[in-house]
Amino acid sequence: MKFFMNFPVTETSHTLVEYRTRLGYQALEKALRMTPTDVTKEVAAAGLLGHGGAAFPAGRKWGVVKLGDGEPHYVCMNADEGEPGTFKDRWLMECVPHMALEGLIIGSYALEGRHAFIYIRGEFDLAHRRMAEAIEEAYAAGLLGENILGTGYSLDVVLYRGAGSYVCGEASAMLASLEGKKGWPRNRPPRLTVKGLYQKPTVVNNVETLANVPVILRLGATEFRKVGTPKSPGTQMISISGHIAKPGVYEVEYGYSWTKFIYEDCGGMQNGKALKCIIPGGVSTKLLSASEIEGVTLDHNSAVAAGSQVGSGGMIAIAEGTCMVRLAAVIQRFYHHESCGQCTPCRQGMGWMERILNRIVAGGGRPEDIDQLYKISEANDGTTICSLGDSAGYACSAILDHYREEFEYYITNGRSMYDGNLTVDDPFATSPFATSPFANALVGAAS
Amino acid sequence: MSDAVMPAAKKMLDFAIDGVPMQAVDGQTVIQAARANGVEIPHFCWHPQLSVPGNCRICMVEIEQDSGDPWFDIACNMPVTAGMRVLTKSEKIKTLNQDTMQFITLNHPVDCGVCNKSGECLLQDYHYELNGAASKSRDPKTHATKFFPLSDRIMLDNERCIMCTLCVRFTNEVSGSKALGAVNRGDHALIRPAEDADFNLDVYSDNVIDLCPVGALLSTELMTHARVWYLQATKSVCPGCERGCSIDVWHRKHEWKLNALDPRLNTTIDRITPHENPEVNGLWVCNKARDLAQLFERPRAEQSLQRGAPVDLSAAIAAAAKLMAAAKKPVAIVSSWGSNEELAAFHAAFGTTVPGFVKADHLPLPGEVIEDHLLIKPDKNPNRKAALALYPALPERVSDALPADTDVVLVWGEGFDSALVPSGAKVIRLDSYAHAANSTADVFIPISVQTERNGHYTNFKGVVTPFEACFPVKPSIVHAEALFTALAAGTPV
Ligand code: SF4
Ligand code: SF4
Ligand code: SF4
Ligand code: FES
Repeated sequence: MKFFMNFPVTETSHTLVEYRTRLGYQALEKALRMTPTDVTKEVAAAGLLGHGGAAFPAGRKWGVVKLGDGEPHYVCMNADEGEPGTFKDRWLMECVPHMALEGLIIGSYALEGRHAFIYIRGEFDLAHRRMAEAIEEAYAAGLLGENILGTGYSLDVVLYRGAGSYVCGEASAMLASLEGKKGWPRNRPPRLTVKGLYQKPTVVNNVETLANVPVILRLGATEFRKVGTPKSPGTQMISISGHIAKPGVYEVEYGYSWTKFIYEDCGGMQNGKALKCIIPGGVSTKLLSASEIEGVTLDHNSAVAAGSQVGSGGMIAIAEGTCMVRLAAVIQRFYHHESCGQCTPCRQGMGWMERILNRIVAGGGRPEDIDQLYKISEANDGTTICSLGDSAGYACSAILDHYREEFEYYITNGRSMYDGNLTVDDPFATSPFATSPFANALVGAAS
Repeated sequence: MSDAVMPAAKKMLDFAIDGVPMQAVDGQTVIQAARANGVEIPHFCWHPQLSVPGNCRICMVEIEQDSGDPWFDIACNMPVTAGMRVLTKSEKIKTLNQDTMQFITLNHPVDCGVCNKSGECLLQDYHYELNGAASKSRDPKTHATKFFPLSDRIMLDNERCIMCTLCVRFTNEVSGSKALGAVNRGDHALIRPAEDADFNLDVYSDNVIDLCPVGALLSTELMTHARVWYLQATKSVCPGCERGCSIDVWHRKHEWKLNALDPRLNTTIDRITPHENPEVNGLWVCNKARDLAQLFERPRAEQSLQRGAPVDLSAAIAAAAKLMAAAKKPVAIVSSWGSNEELAAFHAAFGTTVPGFVKADHLPLPGEVIEDHLLIKPDKNPNRKAALALYPALPERVSDALPADTDVVLVWGEGFDSALVPSGAKVIRLDSYAHAANSTADVFIPISVQTERNGHYTNFKGVVTPFEACFPVKPSIVHAEALFTALAAGTPV
C-alpha cells in the first residue's frame, strides 16, 4: 500500500489540478465539517507517528495545545530536511506539495491556528518553487486565505527559506530562525507547545507527518491503521543512498522486511559487493551491521529492538571494503561544521572528535584515542541543549562498537586496513575548521 | 487588608539538596532556590538578572527518583518541584563537571599569567574546584583573534571566550543597545559587534567586562595597568548624577604601595566596579562611573590663596573667618556635591545667619546622555536633594539671590561664575580643583574630595548611601566639614 508514491510522476503531477484528480483536498473538506477536537482525535486514533526522526505521536502533540484559550496557535511545517542521507521530504515537496500543504491546513484548523509556517531548507530550490506554487494555487482556489471553502475558517501560510544550517531543523532552533534570531536551539522547559513561536503555543511537524494527515482524514483512522504495524501504523518514506544498486526514494509499509527492501527493492549492493552495514535513518542513528538487520522489519519497535531507529528515513548502505575510520571522520566533520556552538560539550566536543579522527586518518593515531572518542561521546550524552551533541556521539560510538579493530589497526599501522593512509604534512589539513588560519581569515573578513 | 490588595503569598515547596531539607518558592529554579538557601551551584552562563540560555552546562545536577533511573539536568533551567531531591556532588555530577571543565579548557589558552582577569576568573576557580586534572587533549588548541576591539573601551580576546553569551544578553536585555551577537558555528563561533550597531554608543558597555566570567572582555584602560591582587576596593557612591550608584573604587593596597615607580600611582583610581545595591542601581553602573578617575584626577587645588598669593592654610582660614564675621549682608552658594555631613555642618555653622542658595556644581557635558531608561538621571549632582532640604535653589536670575548690597559671597564647590558676584563684594571660594576663579577670590581654601573623606549622599529617591575615604588628604587641604565650624567660630581648624 502506498500513500504518496501511488501515481506516475510527470511534469505536471505536482499541480493542484492533478492532485485533485487523486482526491486532493477532499480530506480538508471533510475536516472542515468536523470540530477541531475531532480532527485531532482522528489523527490520534490513527496512531500517526512523527516522521522527522523522534517518532513522537502526532495526535498527542496536537492534543496538548489548549484550544479556545485566546492565544494564537501556530503550526510550523519542518521542511528543513538536513540529515545527511535524508531526502525523502524533498521528494514529497517536489512531487506532492499539495499533500503536505493540505495536511498543514488541516493541522492548523485542528489547532485553531490563523497563521501557519513552512520552514524550508534553503538549498531545496525545486522543492521551494513547487511549494510556493502550491501555496499560490491554494490561495487562488480558496483553499487558503479568508473563509476557506466558505466555512468561515481562515488561514495564511508563510513560506520561509532557511539559510542552510543543519541545526535549524531542530524545532526550537527553527522557531528562533523564523523569529529572525540566530538559529540556536533552546532548553526545555518550556515545551514548544506551551511557548513556541513568538512565545505562543506551537506545533512543529515534519513534512511527511503532515502529508499523512489528509490520508488519515480521507481513509479514517481505522482504515489507516490497517497499513503498517499496530505500533507503527502507515507507511514510511525512505531515501536510500550509498553503495546501493538502486538509490532513491521508496515508500514502504511499516513492518516491511529490511533485507527484502535492501536486496530486492533496492537491488542489493553496487557491483555485487557484500553489505557491510546500514546507517538506518540519517547519520544520527546508530549503524547496524549486515547481520544485525536480518529478521528486522522497517518499523520503530523493530528498529529500536535491533539497537537503532528508523530516524529520518535516510538510509545509507555501506559496502564491504569501506574504511570505517574515514567514514567516522567524514561524519564527524559534518557534526563539527554544523554544531551551532552554543553549548559547551557539543561546541568543544565536535571539533575535538574531528581532530582526533583526522589525526588517526593522517596516520598519527594514538592508542588512547579510542577511549577518548568514547569519553567525548559519553560526555555529550544527555548533557547538551539539543540532540546534535548526543547524536554525533552515538554515531561515532556505534562505529567504534562495531569496528573497533579497524581503528586499532589504523592506529597501530598508521594506515587503513583497506588501503594506504592519507599522510599529509599538516595533520589538520583535512579539516578546514580545525586550524587558526581559517578562524582568522573569517575574522579578517568580518572586521 | 482585603485579598485584592494583599499580594497572594507564593506557595512554598519542600525539597532537598544533597540530603539537606530546604524550602523553595514555587516557580524558582533549582539554582535560585539553592542560592536562597545558601548553596552555590557552579555556573558560568546563568545570571540572576538575565535570561537563561543554559549553554555552559556546568550547573548539571542529579535528581534522585524513587522509581527509575536518576536523571540529570541543568539547575539553572529546572523548576523546583515538591519533594524534589537534588544531588550536586554525586559521582556522576563530579564526572560531568570534570568533563565540562575539560571541554571549556580544551581550546582556552593558558594565558593566566598575562590575563587581567587572573585573580577574578571563574574558569580558574572552577578548574581547581571541579576538575584539577591535566588536559586530556594531545592536539594543538584552536586559535582565534587575540585582540579584537569591540569598542574604544573594550578589548575582546576570542581565544578566552567560552561563549556564555552573558555579554550578548546584557546588550539585548539590559542596556538595550543590541550591539553584540555571535557569528559562526561550533568551536569557531565568535562574539562580534552587530553589523548595524556601535558598541561605543552603549553607555553601559563596561558592565560586560564585569559580567564576562573569563578574561575575554577587558577594559582597554585597565589592561596591562594593574593586577587585581595589588588592588583593594573601597565602597563609594558615583557622583555622576542624582542616581548615586553604589560603586567600588579600586586602588593600590597599602602593602603594595610603590616606592620606586612614580608614587602618584599610589593614589590613582585603578578601576570602578558596581557595588550591588538593589535600592539604587541593582548590579549595574553607567560608563560615567567607570570614568570617575578622570573626574577625580583633574588638576587639584592644593594651595590656599589670598587674592592669588599663596598663604598658609591657617592664615587663609583666619582671613576667611574674619571676612565672614565682619560681613553685614553675606550670602553662601551651597554645593550640591557636599555630603550630608558637610551640609549639616554648614547648616549648623551658618544656617540662621547666612542666607544660602544651592547651585549645580556640574551640568551635563556636551554629548553626555541626559537621561535614560535604566539609571542615568538628568541632574548631574549627587546630593542636590539633601542640599535642597536645607536651602533653596539658586534662582535663575542670580541677582535675586545676590542683591547689590551683598558684601561677602562664600562660594562652595564648582560651577559658580564669580562674575555674577555684585561689585564690591568680597569672595571666599572653597574648592578642590584648580580653576582660574581660585586666584581671583579674596580668599581661596582648598578642600578635600570625595575619595579623601567619609560621608553620605542622599539620592533623588531619598536613599542615603555611604562612601568611604580611600586616599589620605594632604596637610595643605582641609575637610569642608571641619572648615565650616572654624569659619563660623573664627577659630583655626
Ligand atoms: S548540542 Fe550542539 S547544536 Fe545543539 S545547542 Fe548545543 S552546541 Fe548547539
Ligand atoms: S566574551 Fe565573555 S561574556 Fe561574552 S560570551 Fe565570551 S566569555 Fe561570555
Ligand atoms: S547612573 Fe549616574 S550615578 Fe549611576 S553610574 Fe551613571 S552617572 Fe553614576
Ligand atoms: S549555568 Fe546552567 S547551563 Fe550555564
